[in-house]
Amino acid sequence: MSRASRSVLILCLAMFASASRAGPAPTPTPMAAEPAAAGYSAPALYNLANSFARAGKPGLAVLNYERARLLDPKDPDIEANLRHIRETSGLPPDARSRFQRAAQFADPRLLAWVGIFGLSLAGIAAWVRVGSKSHRRKLLLAMWVGICMLGVSVANGVALWPVIHEAVVIAPSTPVRVSPVTEEEPLFVLPEAAIVAVRAEHDGFVLVRAQNDRSGWVPGKNLVRIVPTR
Amino acid sequence: MRPPVSRRNGLSAAMLLLSLFASAVVSAAALSVDSSIEPSQIALGESARLTIFTSGSGTLSVPLPVVPGLEFRVVGTSHRFQLINGMAIESTSTIVRVTPEEAGVFTIPGPTPNSPPLVLRVTATGVGSSSFGNGAAPGSAPLFPGAGAGASASASGLHLTPDGSAFVHLEIPRHEIFVGESVPVEIQVGMRDGFVESLNGLPKLNSDDFTLNNLSRQPERGPRVIDGKPFTVYTWHSLLAAVKPGNYSLAFEAPLTVRMRTRPLSESKLDDLLGDPFLQNIFGATVQKNIDVQSPATEMSVLPLPAQGRPPDFGGAVGSFKISTDISSNKTTAGDPLTLRMHVSGAGNFDRVESSMLGGSAEWKTYDPKASFNATDPLGYRGEKIFEQPIIASQAGTHAVPPLSFNYFDPTTRRYETARSLPLEVAVAPAVTVDTNVAPAIAGTPADQSHGGLRPDHVVTDARVASLTPLYFQPAFAGCASGLALLFVGGWTLLRRRERQRNDQERERQRVRAQLMRALLDKMAAAAAGSDTAVFFSSARSALQQALGARWQMAPELITIADVEARLEGGDRVDVRQIFALADEANYSGTDLEAADFEHWTEVVRRHLSAGEPS
Repeated sequence: MSRASRSVLILCLAMFASASRAGPAPTPTPMAAEPAAAGYSAPALYNLANSFARAGKPGLAVLNYERARLLDPKDPDIEANLRHIRETSGLPPDARSRFQRAAQFADPRLLAWVGIFGLSLAGIAAWVRVGSKSHRRKLLLAMWVGICMLGVSVANGVALWPVIHEAVVIAPSTPVRVSPVTEEEPLFVLPEAAIVAVRAEHDGFVLVRAQNDRSGWVPGKNLVRIVPTR
Repeated sequence: MRPPVSRRNGLSAAMLLLSLFASAVVSAAALSVDSSIEPSQIALGESARLTIFTSGSGTLSVPLPVVPGLEFRVVGTSHRFQLINGMAIESTSTIVRVTPEEAGVFTIPGPTPNSPPLVLRVTATGVGSSSFGNGAAPGSAPLFPGAGAGASASASGLHLTPDGSAFVHLEIPRHEIFVGESVPVEIQVGMRDGFVESLNGLPKLNSDDFTLNNLSRQPERGPRVIDGKPFTVYTWHSLLAAVKPGNYSLAFEAPLTVRMRTRPLSESKLDDLLGDPFLQNIFGATVQKNIDVQSPATEMSVLPLPAQGRPPDFGGAVGSFKISTDISSNKTTAGDPLTLRMHVSGAGNFDRVESSMLGGSAEWKTYDPKASFNATDPLGYRGEKIFEQPIIASQAGTHAVPPLSFNYFDPTTRRYETARSLPLEVAVAPAVTVDTNVAPAIAGTPADQSHGGLRPDHVVTDARVASLTPLYFQPAFAGCASGLALLFVGGWTLLRRRERQRNDQERERQRVRAQLMRALLDKMAAAAAGSDTAVFFSSARSALQQALGARWQMAPELITIADVEARLEGGDRVDVRQIFALADEANYSGTDLEAADFEHWTEVVRRHLSAGEPS
């Protein structure tokens, strides 16, 4: 292995190690501290969603369940409560595709770093294999293992891409119009807690596509993005 | 002027002849009866015209209707025969004068039990117009006083064609207008019954200095008697506008197909004998001809709009207008849109009525307005133009929508006028904001019982992330991953290129070596043929040095007998060492070898060379 390859491998391992240290050891904190604490955590968002659900606000409940699921996609409680609130609100079931479900099998942060590790492994193995006459089969195997890890990470990113453009309806009945004005008759009405894809924004109105593939403009104040924009 | 009685007699005689002719081919045809009344609304003291129209073979006696309060009197009957595919069709029109005795709404039963009834409204005041009162086109009041006045209009006001078969007449209210001003005009084309075959197009303006807008598609049609002769008058309404200032002559023309007499009037006794142009045509007294009938020229003076006092935002509206404003709601929430409407009503060139309405301000966010026009007359001269502008209050509180203004030129006062609206007050409530990160205060509020099946809360840990955006889409991470990928791809590409260059150099060395060896073998063969021992063994040694140098990765000229003895083993060592020795011997002592020896040593050299070649 060349000196450059060793340096890159050490750099990647250091990055992975620092990322793993990002979350300190979990220690229970009181519920009252939730709003004051900075940042997001899956349990806090889940508890917040439960609060909204009990208060009869399904829109905000679904919003926070979706956010919690973004951080912890395999939590069965989040899935169960999300399914429950959808059923009781008369909403259609989760519209995620089979690919999205399969690709979100683990924490996206972990999968992102797995992708970086796979990229490094594949790259270093490819480097070493170019000038080496020995261990070529082993290097080829390491390269393919790295590529597979990178592929899993990329698939997870592709599955998450639509989520960052989705928003949840938080108003009881949101009229959808053909243009961003309020004078026209609505095309249809979005129920509270419905998830829509955000296509564009214009002067306080948002162009959305609903799950039934119908599009239109809704007031921006009636929606909240699952992934907040900065 | 031919007496009407004579005319009626002549017509009756002709009808009798035609009846006899047609009786030979008469076949059964369905009899239809229809009726109409014009106008449907008249004033007390005026009369309406009821026309009962029957068509088909045979005759049908239609009794006059009886309606209390209305007097019916037959004023004329006309008959017409048509032969269609050998079938004789007789049409009869009976014209009845209907005179009300009192005001009210009267229902006149249809001529047959299946016919729909007719309705006549009689007002106490002079609102309606009478078909028998002024000879104007039925169903519409004239635009201007005196238009079409007189049941038997004198030809002095109309310019008939020389043969008296048609006329074109222009009614215009004013002969002095301003540039851009729209003036309603009425174009009448009169065609003498029986003399004019057809109207072949719309009346045309013969001047490029004016434009004619909104010409009615379907003209109004009505009978009129001029100099005792029956005419059918077609009336179009339009808006006339001048393009540039100046004094111009204005005229209209209409393309017609007329029947012209083939004999001079003085010689034509047939007219007097037959009395009707329809019969004249049968007997060959007329021929058809296309002509353009023109109205007499009308002098028009077009004035420019004055530059003095012209408002900076004057858009070219000329007429008489007034404005008013309203708003969709007087109460709203900050951020919610409202619709501000401005109504511009009056008469004039509405196509030039424009407004940008309210401009943007700190209190109001505004959008471009949209305009729509509702005409109250067919010409679009009178009506209301409505501008709608979405506006959004940006701050809470009570705000006033500023008054709007509209500038136009009034041709009556001959100066620019500004119409202003009143300010509007709107109460704006603060916008409701929802904090999606704050849990609702459940205490004191009833819990939603439908959500009792929720799984319990989780224990919250300190593990938090700064952003919900997945790492893939965070710029720092994406940049790092992209940089790493570029580094690996770039490095791999460089390494591959260097390896390829190294392989290329090695291949080049092998190629040069092979060439050199072939040359040495050729030299050996030439030396063997010439029995030149020194050259033969010198070449053999050089060839072996090249082969062994490539094998041992050292310079060929540095390989000596000592290296051969040290590195080679067995028979190879003996043969190679002997060739090296013979080369030295032949070089320094000049010993001659026999031809068989050359072949042997050549074979030895070839064997060593082939053993050293890469597989």
